[in-house]
Amino acid sequence: MDSLNELIKGKIPCEETGIQIRHTLCAICSPANNCGIDAYVKDGRLIKVEGTQEHPKNHGFLCTKGQANRAFIYRKDRILTPLKRVGERGEGKFQAISWEEAYGEIAARLNGIKAEDGPEAVAFFGGYNKWYRPWLRRFAHSFGSMNYGTESSTCMTGGWIAWKLSSGRLSSPDMGNCDLFLGWAYNPYYSRYLNVKLAEECKGKGTKFIIVDPRITPAVEKLADLHLRPYPGTDGALALCMANILIQKGWIDQEYIDTYVHGFAEYAEYVKNFHGGNIEALTGVPYVQVEEACRMIHESRAMAINENSAPIPHHKNGVQNYRAIMALSAITGNYDRSGGQRPVKHTFTHQVSGFLTREDDFADGTEPKDARPAVGAERFPLWYHMEREMQVVDLSRQILEGTPYPVKAVFAMGMNMRMLPDVDEWEKALKKLDFFVDTDLFLTDTAKLADIVLPACSSFERGEFMTYAKGYAWYTNPVIDRVGDSKSDAEILKDLAWVMNLEDEPLKAGYEANIRDMVQDLDITVEQLRESDLPVHVPGSGQPPMGSYIQGGMDTPTGKFELYSELIAAHPEWGLDPLPTYCEPLNGGDPKEYPMILCSGGRLPHTLHSRLHPIPWLRSMRPDPMADISLEDAREHGLEAGQDMELYTKNGGIFVKANPTSRVPKGVVFFYHGYPEADVNRLLSREHVDPYSGFPAYNSTRCGIRALSGSADHRPGEKPMEKEEG
Amino acid sequence: MKGYTIDLDLEKCISCGACMVACMDQKDIHPENGQKPFRTVFDLETNRDGITAYSHLSLACMHCVDAPCITACPSACIRKDEETNFTIFDTANCIGCHSCAMACPFGIPSFGEDGKMEKCDGCYVRVHHGMKPACVKACPVEALRLVELEGDKTILPERSLQESSKNILDQQV
Repeated sequence: MDSLNELIKGKIPCEETGIQIRHTLCAICSPANNCGIDAYVKDGRLIKVEGTQEHPKNHGFLCTKGQANRAFIYRKDRILTPLKRVGERGEGKFQAISWEEAYGEIAARLNGIKAEDGPEAVAFFGGYNKWYRPWLRRFAHSFGSMNYGTESSTCMTGGWIAWKLSSGRLSSPDMGNCDLFLGWAYNPYYSRYLNVKLAEECKGKGTKFIIVDPRITPAVEKLADLHLRPYPGTDGALALCMANILIQKGWIDQEYIDTYVHGFAEYAEYVKNFHGGNIEALTGVPYVQVEEACRMIHESRAMAINENSAPIPHHKNGVQNYRAIMALSAITGNYDRSGGQRPVKHTFTHQVSGFLTREDDFADGTEPKDARPAVGAERFPLWYHMEREMQVVDLSRQILEGTPYPVKAVFAMGMNMRMLPDVDEWEKALKKLDFFVDTDLFLTDTAKLADIVLPACSSFERGEFMTYAKGYAWYTNPVIDRVGDSKSDAEILKDLAWVMNLEDEPLKAGYEANIRDMVQDLDITVEQLRESDLPVHVPGSGQPPMGSYIQGGMDTPTGKFELYSELIAAHPEWGLDPLPTYCEPLNGGDPKEYPMILCSGGRLPHTLHSRLHPIPWLRSMRPDPMADISLEDAREHGLEAGQDMELYTKNGGIFVKANPTSRVPKGVVFFYHGYPEADVNRLLSREHVDPYSGFPAYNSTRCGIRALSGSADHRPGEKPMEKEEG
Repeated sequence: MKGYTIDLDLEKCISCGACMVACMDQKDIHPENGQKPFRTVFDLETNRDGITAYSHLSLACMHCVDAPCITACPSACIRKDEETNFTIFDTANCIGCHSCAMACPFGIPSFGEDGKMEKCDGCYVRVHHGMKPACVKACPVEALRLVELEGDKTILPERSLQESSKNILDQQV
C-alpha cells in the first residue's frame, strides 16, 4: 500500500489525492496536429500532462514540445490583465487596466483611424496559435479592410500555392500504400513526429526511402536507402534533372501524361538544361546519385513525395522548386493514384478530416466589395490572387513608406516579429504606428511594443472545436482555471465586435453559435461533441476514391495537372514563369566576403519559433544559441565546440556558439531562429524573397563566420560591434 | 524474478528529449535552479578513420537486479521495491557520503542542494497503479519500454541498452 505522501508525490489520480485527469488538446504548434492531452489537474491547476491513449490523433504519444505544456501555460511572463502602455514603445512599462477600458480604447482608436484614413489603414495580424483565424479574417472584413494576414505568409501557403498552380488542390503523400517514399526535406523525428510510426512500419515491410536533405538527420540515419544532399535552395535544379533523366530513359507514364497532364512538351524541353554536365556544380549532388534516384523511381510501383510547409518554400525560388518536385509525381503517373499523392480538402483550420464544414463561408462571408487590395498585392500579385489576404512580409515596408497607402494601426493576435526577416526594421515599423494592439499569452518582445496588450488564454483554459483525420470531430471544455483575467481569442473578437458595433450579427453571436452554423450539414451536433470526453466519429465521413479528382477534371484552367501554368501565362504583367523554371537561390553580395550559406530553417525537437526558448525544461537541452557548422569549416576557422563566433551577413552579425558537427555539409551554417539575444532574422533581408509567394529566403542567404578571440569582449547575447574588417 | 526494468531500444532512440521533459514534469524539476532530470539523453557522433557513426542514448538508473548502490549505502537508504524490482530510496538517513555514486557503474546517483542522494525511482508508485513510468509513457518513438524481467524480450538483445550494459555491470560487481 502506498502512503498518501507517496500517492501525492507520484501524482496518482485518485480520490485520496484529489487529482483528476481531464481531456484537452495541445495547441503549442499548429491546428494540423493538436494532440490529445491527459491533463492531471488538482484544485483547478495543471500539475502534469500526458498524451491521451484513446485519442485518435496521437494514441497516447506527445512530442518533446507538447510534453512541456505545464511550463508553457505557467510561463513566468503570462499576461494576467489587459495592459496599457505607460512608457516608451518597447520599454515594457504598462499599467493594468480593465477589459472595459481596453475595449473602449481599442474601439475608439480603430474606428477613429478608419474614419480618417479608411478601413484599410488598419491591418489585422494573426500569429500563434492559429485557431481563431477564420474569426479574425471575418472581423477584418466586417471592419472593411482586406488587410488580414497571418504568419502563414511565411509558412505552408507557399507550398499550397505551388499545388494550386499545378493541380488546383493541396495534396498529401499516400505513404501507407507506396513502395518508394521520396522524402524531400523529410525528418518526422523533429516535426510531425506522429508520422514516424507509419514511416517505420513502411520501412519494415520493404518500402524504400530516398531522403533529400543537406543535413544528416535522424530520418537519414533510420530510413534512407539513398541520401541526396543538395545545397539549400538548389532542390529545383535537382528535381528538373531527375525529370530529364526519367524522360530520356523513357521511365515516365506517357499514357497518364497524355490524359491528365498539361504542358509536357514545353517542360520536357526545358528540363534538358539540367544534366550530367552541370548538376553537381549546381546542386552539389553527384550525377550518379541522381541517376540512382531515378532508377529507384523507375523500379517502384508507387511513389509518394513528402509534402512540406517550410523547408522547400523558404527560398527565393521556393514555389518554383516545389512545383518542380511535385511535377515528378505527375510525369510518373503517381498523382491521385494509390501510393502516390492524394488530393485533399481542408475540413477546418487546415485539418484534413474527410468531411467538410462551412468554415470558408464564415471566414469569407463579409469580404468587403471595392476595398483597396491588401498589403503586398502589388509586390506579390500571385499571392494576392490566390490568397485574398495580406502578404505580411510587405507590411513593415508599407508602414514605413506609406505606399501605396498608409497603414496606421495593427490589431494583432499572438504576433511575433522575430519570425520575420529584418527584425530591426519591423521594430521600427511597429514603433511608427499610431496604434498597435497585441493579444498573447506572454509579454513577448512584440507585445512590449504595443499600446494595449490583451491577455489570451491557452487551449487548456478554453473550449474549442477541432477536427482530426479519419472523420473525427471534437469540442473541448476548459480543464483548468484561467490564468489571471485572460480570455480566449474568440471571446475577445466577439466582445470587440459588440463594442465596435460591427454590422455583423454572426460575429456578435460568438464562437459556439458560429461552429453550429459551420457543422450544420453534418450528422452530428455541438451538444454531442461537447458531451464526449474524446473526439467523435462523424457519420458519413471518408475520402473520395483515388483517381476521382483527375478523372473529374482538376481545379486548374485546363482541368489537368499543369506543368505549364495557364494562370501565370494569362498574367504576363506579373513577370512570372508558367514553367517551373529554376534560378540560383542565393542573394546578391560578394561571395568572397560572404562565402557560406546561412540556413535558418533546420528544426530542433524541443523548439517552436521563439515560444519555447524561455521554458527552462526545454532550454536546458541546448542552453546556448549554437551554429551547426561542418568539421571542415570549424577547422578552417579555428573553431572548437562551444567557442564564441560571429555569424554575419550583409545585414549585420550575431554572436553565437560554435557547434561543429558532421551532420551538416561544408559551406553551410545551420542556425535556429527566435533567440532574442542572437536573432538570426536580424541578418536576413526583406528584399530576399520569393516573388511568387513573398516567402522570405530563410534557408539560403550568403553569410560568413569568424572565431571570436578574447571571449570576455564578445559574449553571445550581446549586440555585435561594428565589424572591424572586411 | 518478478518485476520490471526500464529498457531502451538503441535503434529507435533519436535523442529528442521527450523523456527528460516528462521526468521534469513528473518530478517537479527546476533546471533554472540548477536541478537536473533523473534521465539524460545523449546525441553522439564519433569520427574514426574517416567513418562517422551516430548513436543515441537515454540514460537513467538501470534498476540493476543486484544493485551495487544498495550494499554500498552505509545508511541503508536504498532498497528494492518488492512489487516492481525498482531501486527505490528513503533518504531520511542519507549522510551524503556518495558511496552509492561511487558504487554505481553508470554514475547515476546525484545529490540535491541538501546534500542528499536523488535518482530515478522508476515512478514505482505509478507502476503500482497500472501506469507506465513517465519517461516510458512519453517516448514518442517507443524506444523506452517498461519490460518484465522474465517476460518475452520486446527489444532485440543487440538493440537493448539493458543487455549491452550487463557486461559493464558484470565486470564491476
